[in-house]
Amino acid sequence: MASRKEQKEQARAARLAKEQALAAKAGRTRRFQIFGGVIVAAVIVIVVAIVVSSSGGGGSGASNPNSSANKANYTAVNSLLSGIPQSGTVLGKSSAPVTMTYFGDLECPICKEFTLTYFPQFVENEVRTGKVKVDYRSFCTATCNDHSQALFNLQQTAAYAAGKQNLFWYYAELFYHEQQDELSDYVNDTWLSNIAKQIPALDFAKWQKTRTADGTALQNQVNADAAEANTLQIDGTPSLFMTGKKGTQQAEGPNNSLPDASELAAAVQAVS
Amino acid sequence: MSETANRSLLTRLPIADSGRLTKAILVIALVGTLEAMYLTYVHYHGLGGLLCFGKHSGHSSCEQVQSSSYSELAGIPVALLGLIGYLTILVTLFIRGELGRVAGFGVALIGFGFSAYLTYREIFTLKEICEWCVASACLMTALLVLTSIRYLRAS
Repeated sequence: MASRKEQKEQARAARLAKEQALAAKAGRTRRFQIFGGVIVAAVIVIVVAIVVSSSGGGGSGASNPNSSANKANYTAVNSLLSGIPQSGTVLGKSSAPVTMTYFGDLECPICKEFTLTYFPQFVENEVRTGKVKVDYRSFCTATCNDHSQALFNLQQTAAYAAGKQNLFWYYAELFYHEQQDELSDYVNDTWLSNIAKQIPALDFAKWQKTRTADGTALQNQVNADAAEANTLQIDGTPSLFMTGKKGTQQAEGPNNSLPDASELAAAVQAVS
Repeated sequence: MSETANRSLLTRLPIADSGRLTKAILVIALVGTLEAMYLTYVHYHGLGGLLCFGKHSGHSSCEQVQSSSYSELAGIPVALLGLIGYLTILVTLFIRGELGRVAGFGVALIGFGFSAYLTYREIFTLKEICEWCVASACLMTALLVLTSIRYLRAS
């Protein structure tokens, strides 16, 4: 039988062990509470970052003007357009006997396909040689289907503001080259500015000023395009019309497909 | 699951001790730092991405992703944010005690969450895969696992 002293020591040891267990448990509980708190705080930070990114508040939501991809885009566009006169929305010599009127939506993926696939050869063969000039008109299709008329007006007036410096086609070509998924909200004011910044010949401050000071005139130009499209009963983009001394005809491939360079050349021939 | 069971699960993991955990975190965070430095350099200087497989209109999928609207957050390149994240995790390794461990875990969790979001955007919005970005997401995932174990194992 344990002595009274031993009983006391056993009781003391049991009490210490219990206290240590309680302290350890409290420590673990505290650690898990901190763990949970950090998770909650991190989730809040992540959600805020996602909201900022998704809203395009990525402020610069931004096609990076310094990226190698975009520099390569400019090089490609410049090699296509360099040496061809531009005036407003018109590409080509004013004396060209045939005019191709191009109705497009800068966010339209089919317009991108046409502009990047078939248009370059047409420009080389028909526009650079002075046979045809191309005049751009806007018509809201993909942008209005997936976004809004307001966004269409914003991007189109930005392009027309570049046209005031006779650089519309640089702006439109770069837009098509850097166009993203039509469902994504990639176009915002900073993205549009970054397209402008990729054009070395464009006076950026002047472009910005034009967008503000001449905003009404630029919007009127967009409205006039819509009225013309309505008169012509256009229902899609790109819609291409060749006009020469023999009249006007729509340029299309078989079964309303996109016209390739030879089909465009045939349409030029038909109206010349 | 009881706390005892939690502890026994953690002790069964192949990482023997917090020293080895710390070394693993150090190595992964260093690799991530180098990668993020490269991507940040590319963002500002416009060099082409290495080892990118997809080609679209003459550009690699990495370039497509790097030039997209998701390559920046509030005007700051996400590559730079990643670099800051990796460097912060490295710094937390040199902070003794619970503060360093919990800070490392918190930063890794934020990095993991945002990397997961960017990967989602790559796959479902941009429909382009940037191998460098996916690699960074994997590194952040590994860092999240290791830093959480490091925090929970500490007594």
